[in-house]
Amino acid sequence: MIVNDADQNMLRAMATARLLRSIVPKSQIAFIVQRCSVSIAGRPIQRVIKSSVALTLYFVFAACAMSQQVDYARDVRPILQEHCYKCHGSKTQESGLRLDVKSEALKGGESFGVSIVAGKAMDSPLIQFVSREDADLQMPPEGERLSEAEITTLTKWVDEGANWPEQFARPTEDTKPHWSLTPLREPGVPNGAANPIDAFIHARLAENKLVPAPEADRRTLIRRLTYDLTGLPPNSEEAEGFISDKDPQAYEKLLTRLLSSPRYGEHWARHWLDVANYADTHGNDHDYARPNAWPYRDYVISAFNDDKPYARFVQEQVAGDSLFPGDPQATVALGFVAAGPWDHTLMVTVREDTVDHHMSQNLDRDNMVSTVMGTFQSLTVHCARCHDHKFDPISQREYYSLQAVFAGVDRADRPFDADARTLLERQGLLSEQRALRQPDAALLATLDSPEVKQKVATWLERRARQEKAWATFEVMSVVSTGGATLVKQADGSWFASGTRPEHDTYIVAARRPAGKLSAIRLEVLPDERLPQQGPGRWENGNFHLTEFRAFAAASAATEGATPLVFVRASADYDEGPAISAAQAIDGRNETQWGVHPRYGERHEAIFEIKDPSEYSDDTTFTFLLEHQAGAVGHGIGRFRLTASDELPEAIIKPLSAELATILRVPVGERTIVHRQELALTVLRSENERALNALPPSQFVYAITRDFPPDGENFKPSPRPRSIHLLVRGELSKPGDLIGPGTLGCVPEMPSELAIANVEDESTRRAALALWLSDEHNALTWRSIVNRVWGWHFGRGLCDSPNDFGKMGGEPSHRELLDWLAIWFRDDAKGSLKALHRLIVTSETWKQSTFANHGALSDSDNRLLWRQNRPRLSAEEMRDTILALSGRLDLRMGGPPAQQFISRGDATFMPGGNPAFLDYEHFDPDAPAARRRAIYRFIFRTVPDPFLDALDCPDGSAATPVRGASTTAVQAFVMMNDSFVIRQCEHIAACIAAQDNTPEAQAESAVQLILLRDARGAERTKLADFIQRHGLVNACQLLLNTNEFLYLD
Amino acid sequence: MNTTQMRREFLGTLGTGLGGIALNALLRRDAFAAALTDHAPKAKRIIQLFMNGGASQCDLFDYKPQLIARHGQKFDPGSGERVEASVSLPGAVMKSPFEWVQHGQCGRWVSSVLPHLAEHVDDMAFLMAMQSKSNVHGPASYLHTSGFLLPGFPCAGAWISYALGSLADNVPAFVALPDAKGLPYNGRSAFTSGFLPANHQGTIINASAAQPMTHLQPPASATHITPASRSDSLSLLQELNAAHAAERSDDSRLGARIESYQLAARLQLSAPELLSLADETESTRKLYGLDQSETEDFGKRCLLARRLVERGVRFVQVWSGQGGGADNWDNHADIAKELGIAARRMDQPAAGLLTDLKARGLLDDTLLVWTTEFGRMPFSQDTTGRDHNGGTFVSWFAGAGVKRGVAHGQSDEWSWKAVEDVTTSYDFHATILHLLGIDHKKLTFRHSGIDRRLTDVHGNVIFEILT
Repeated sequence: MIVNDADQNMLRAMATARLLRSIVPKSQIAFIVQRCSVSIAGRPIQRVIKSSVALTLYFVFAACAMSQQVDYARDVRPILQEHCYKCHGSKTQESGLRLDVKSEALKGGESFGVSIVAGKAMDSPLIQFVSREDADLQMPPEGERLSEAEITTLTKWVDEGANWPEQFARPTEDTKPHWSLTPLREPGVPNGAANPIDAFIHARLAENKLVPAPEADRRTLIRRLTYDLTGLPPNSEEAEGFISDKDPQAYEKLLTRLLSSPRYGEHWARHWLDVANYADTHGNDHDYARPNAWPYRDYVISAFNDDKPYARFVQEQVAGDSLFPGDPQATVALGFVAAGPWDHTLMVTVREDTVDHHMSQNLDRDNMVSTVMGTFQSLTVHCARCHDHKFDPISQREYYSLQAVFAGVDRADRPFDADARTLLERQGLLSEQRALRQPDAALLATLDSPEVKQKVATWLERRARQEKAWATFEVMSVVSTGGATLVKQADGSWFASGTRPEHDTYIVAARRPAGKLSAIRLEVLPDERLPQQGPGRWENGNFHLTEFRAFAAASAATEGATPLVFVRASADYDEGPAISAAQAIDGRNETQWGVHPRYGERHEAIFEIKDPSEYSDDTTFTFLLEHQAGAVGHGIGRFRLTASDELPEAIIKPLSAELATILRVPVGERTIVHRQELALTVLRSENERALNALPPSQFVYAITRDFPPDGENFKPSPRPRSIHLLVRGELSKPGDLIGPGTLGCVPEMPSELAIANVEDESTRRAALALWLSDEHNALTWRSIVNRVWGWHFGRGLCDSPNDFGKMGGEPSHRELLDWLAIWFRDDAKGSLKALHRLIVTSETWKQSTFANHGALSDSDNRLLWRQNRPRLSAEEMRDTILALSGRLDLRMGGPPAQQFISRGDATFMPGGNPAFLDYEHFDPDAPAARRRAIYRFIFRTVPDPFLDALDCPDGSAATPVRGASTTAVQAFVMMNDSFVIRQCEHIAACIAAQDNTPEAQAESAVQLILLRDARGAERTKLADFIQRHGLVNACQLLLNTNEFLYLD
Repeated sequence: MNTTQMRREFLGTLGTGLGGIALNALLRRDAFAAALTDHAPKAKRIIQLFMNGGASQCDLFDYKPQLIARHGQKFDPGSGERVEASVSLPGAVMKSPFEWVQHGQCGRWVSSVLPHLAEHVDDMAFLMAMQSKSNVHGPASYLHTSGFLLPGFPCAGAWISYALGSLADNVPAFVALPDAKGLPYNGRSAFTSGFLPANHQGTIINASAAQPMTHLQPPASATHITPASRSDSLSLLQELNAAHAAERSDDSRLGARIESYQLAARLQLSAPELLSLADETESTRKLYGLDQSETEDFGKRCLLARRLVERGVRFVQVWSGQGGGADNWDNHADIAKELGIAARRMDQPAAGLLTDLKARGLLDDTLLVWTTEFGRMPFSQDTTGRDHNGGTFVSWFAGAGVKRGVAHGQSDEWSWKAVEDVTTSYDFHATILHLLGIDHKKLTFRHSGIDRRLTDVHGNVIFEILT
């Protein structure tokens, strides 16, 4: 270490002193100096210390603090990438300096010559510039400067000789592409095996002087295959049938039967949902339920059972709405992008104008992007959110271009029609609705046509008739629970005065002549005596109707009163979409109808009754006009209740004030604008009526650009949101505006997306979906065959199925992976069932697990010289136990089965406290307990402890590979869980019904649970055990055996 | 995957948490533990008291005369910075409804709502300027439990279990003691092992439940299960499993599973003594406030925490308050009333724990940490509550390796934002790991293409508060 230049000393010293300050308290510096001085043997310590304290610190630092060698790729490149490439990289080379290419960087720029002097950090302009304290000379000139630690890393790297390995001499895109980023080229299949899988596997085994294990016996094969394809065990008859089947096609027959079983789709959908990270709640602190998540789960099951071609499966899940608008299920598929967790608090509760809220939108899209790209491309694009990907050729810009693809959507309930014809009709009506909302010249021109005129005439006539049909109730009493005084007025309305309670409910008792009741109208009326003339009692004239309820009782007795159910509530004027008449029948006190700022006017709300009934004239109706939450003093000032017996679909919504004004203009005096407005109103009303007459839509929790706002903060974006690159991923540092696009690193694929109309967000997704499912997209095809392989063998050919990047695993058999990808794409046409068939008919898959000849050379069995021995998954375990007890309910689909008690006020559904979830005391015999595990209600933050112990993913993150831990907790649940114990009682009862001696029972239990005959001593011991402790304990014992839990 | 991780995963399959405890000795001897350690650990074990909901720093420890002087005035920090609250519009400056007094030799200000803890300020090292990246319970809690704003990452206890295991062969490494009223924000995800092997997740003990540990015993209704049937079951099971394993001798998982049943049996045996407070003296019970209904729950769990660490548990997390809108430290509506209740429930038991640990000499190698996910605003929400404030909050450390009677960092004159020696969850966790002898940058696990750490890519050990 030769130090001879005072300035350089100071530079160096400054950098190191800064670093020391940041990591060591001042009091300890002296101590370190002392301790390290000793270790710098042979140096004139005293002189060093005398020359400069700061200089000493440098030695100290060099000697102690950094023992590890700096690595260019790991330590240096990320720093250059973050701070320097922007001006000195592939795109721009300020002052002729380029730092991402070795030769260029060493050569230096125009002004300062060689920028990196190996071994001499302080002689290197690179180091000098980044460590300047002087703001004018400091690099980078703008933005965040390098941290102390970063400067030190660079300094140390240069001092150590600026070791820049040749493989990184050029930026990643210029070097040899990573295995996964090469085009798919069909490799030659080695000779010697009928099934190409075996050909590849055997060839590699031979190269390594290994041989495959022999085929497993039939008992093992049927158990393995049945679990592998359906997640359930074969029963004894099936097993015996297969074992004794002499037909050479016996295995193929079994395979065909299993692949066509609906159980297949249920089992393989579970694999897929692990990757999609599906659950029935949002997750996070207020873990609200997603009551409409399940249609997506059912979609996946059907997709597998129907063997939907993979390209289509990809397309539907990213942009089914846009690419297949006529197929209802293609919309349901969009549940995929929305399946992951979502922070309700951040998105709904936290104010829209806060940093937290904006960040949550960014992270929401991040989750969409990483789900889509992790699943279909096996890339970790999310690593490029804060900076260019450190290992893979994915730029931050590309990452944000992917965010832009999803910039128009949010996660919300999205309507769909299960029936295609209804869908078609609805689509027609909805497009008409859009046209009527914003009529163009062509449409306006049709408004004077005879047909429209006729419609208007009919409508006006019906309206006049209906107005007459509103008949006043005979109100017997109105009571204010808050103590207000209500007095009947001459026009049949009621006026409130006196006490103005904070919150109040008016209880109205009324009668009417016998007849049908189809709708109730609540008129709120202006009155001179009210503030701002009302119609509310609050200072500004407003009121809040939090709920409107109605009951009918056969006589004056209120007991036995039946609530009237409303299908719809509409008003002439609503304060806003979230403060509308609909909120008065939503069952929630926190929401209400109000009319701000339209005071001093009459308003009305019409409540339409579901399934209108006839009532006799002695029926007593009770109405509750509730004002029970929110702003205080917002009771209604004057109101009247009337009833109609018109059919609900004939009821015309209250007229807007504007239209009411038009109607008051004599016909002859109406202008063209008046006539158009009237015609449009009629057509809109007809359109709405037709829409309402359609069977109700179902909902799926999916991505959508159109949904009713939830409060003030969570609302759809009318056009795709603007996406900016965020420097360091921070909102406070927005960079360029980024348009939708995709990755440039996928061979033979364009980095641009062919987007039809960038303003229409769905075409952005459609373009990405087509890009992902393109036959040339090597990642897509490699990714899926690798996943499927992994689910068959317990480990993929590449063992990181969501990461084909540099930090992921190397495939054990690259040629086989490519061959499978091409075969699956071209020969199998994307049929997963064909792929299963190819795999499970291979000798490789059918190998025995009993072999250890490769244990020394390939202990990990990467070469597959035998089959792996998987443990039953959590769901397989639960389903099997039910299957054995004969209580497995094989009904498919539908809303999730809650296999827990929601204690207390059971408010967890709309988001109460998850702490009230109780799995422990849930009745193991309840019908919901008997459904297959895929249909259970998956609660993200409170997972089922039984399944959780067996490594079932909890829905917090995508799980491309499940863990298989062995813990004492597993022993506890298998021994003590009430579900296991109760099912053992059922299993024992089934056996006891057939056999009554302990020996026979032992035999049957082994046969049923382990699918084999009991062995001599084993039978005796079990029988003896049964004698002493009963059959139930014996059954549970067998369920705890490794033989049951592991599949040979 | 590096060798350390492979080794660890291999050991993981055998179990190190509530499971493969027998391997702890092996683990501790193992070279990889040394690889994580670049200095001698000062702390062997940790008790963390987590105030769920965002404990109000400006009503507990962060005394600001300015709030008293400007009470009721419009909040204007003067910096031109935008003032935003999480779920409400910023109200007027609000002084604490509690009185402030200086305590101890160090003269630390503590509000009158914490009379018991106030007596111990000379044992504590305060982090007066902690800052969160989020103003919202879910992400802020994740950040402070796992180092990430999003779900799916292992929490600190799981990392510590993964790195060190427990100190004895019949207790888990990581135990969570949730409030009797329910789980904290993010539910069981607050104790998750994330992508670490499942055996590192927190073992939940519901101290007030009839069966504090789920699945420890069969349900009472299962009368056919008797001690004799259990013991015979286990021996016959081991026999069948041994015969099965003998034919598959190269599969170590089978042996591990046999072992796991023996471990379960040991745990089952040790649990009753572990969970019973019967042998605690009357004065100890009083010290923790077990004789008063208000302090009973938290006191019981603090006492249990001491028993757990005494018996070899590495990391115990005691939660004060449940998730959800009430009964915790999320005092939006009425600081005087709501915070008063939360503080009284916690104050005496926490002080009792500190006293007890000290008296037993445990504090020499036990770290006691008091923390919360964020602070609260110096201005009011409506008239008497306070909204969330990620800008500044307070935590304190006491015990092993921690300076006594010091404070590090400072918030601005309003207690609105941390301004001096600001510390983060990353620093907080780096410091805890450091005290355990672990370099937070070396404790990694490869997941989804990235070597993940508890401290993400950040974190500085807060040496200023360490001895």
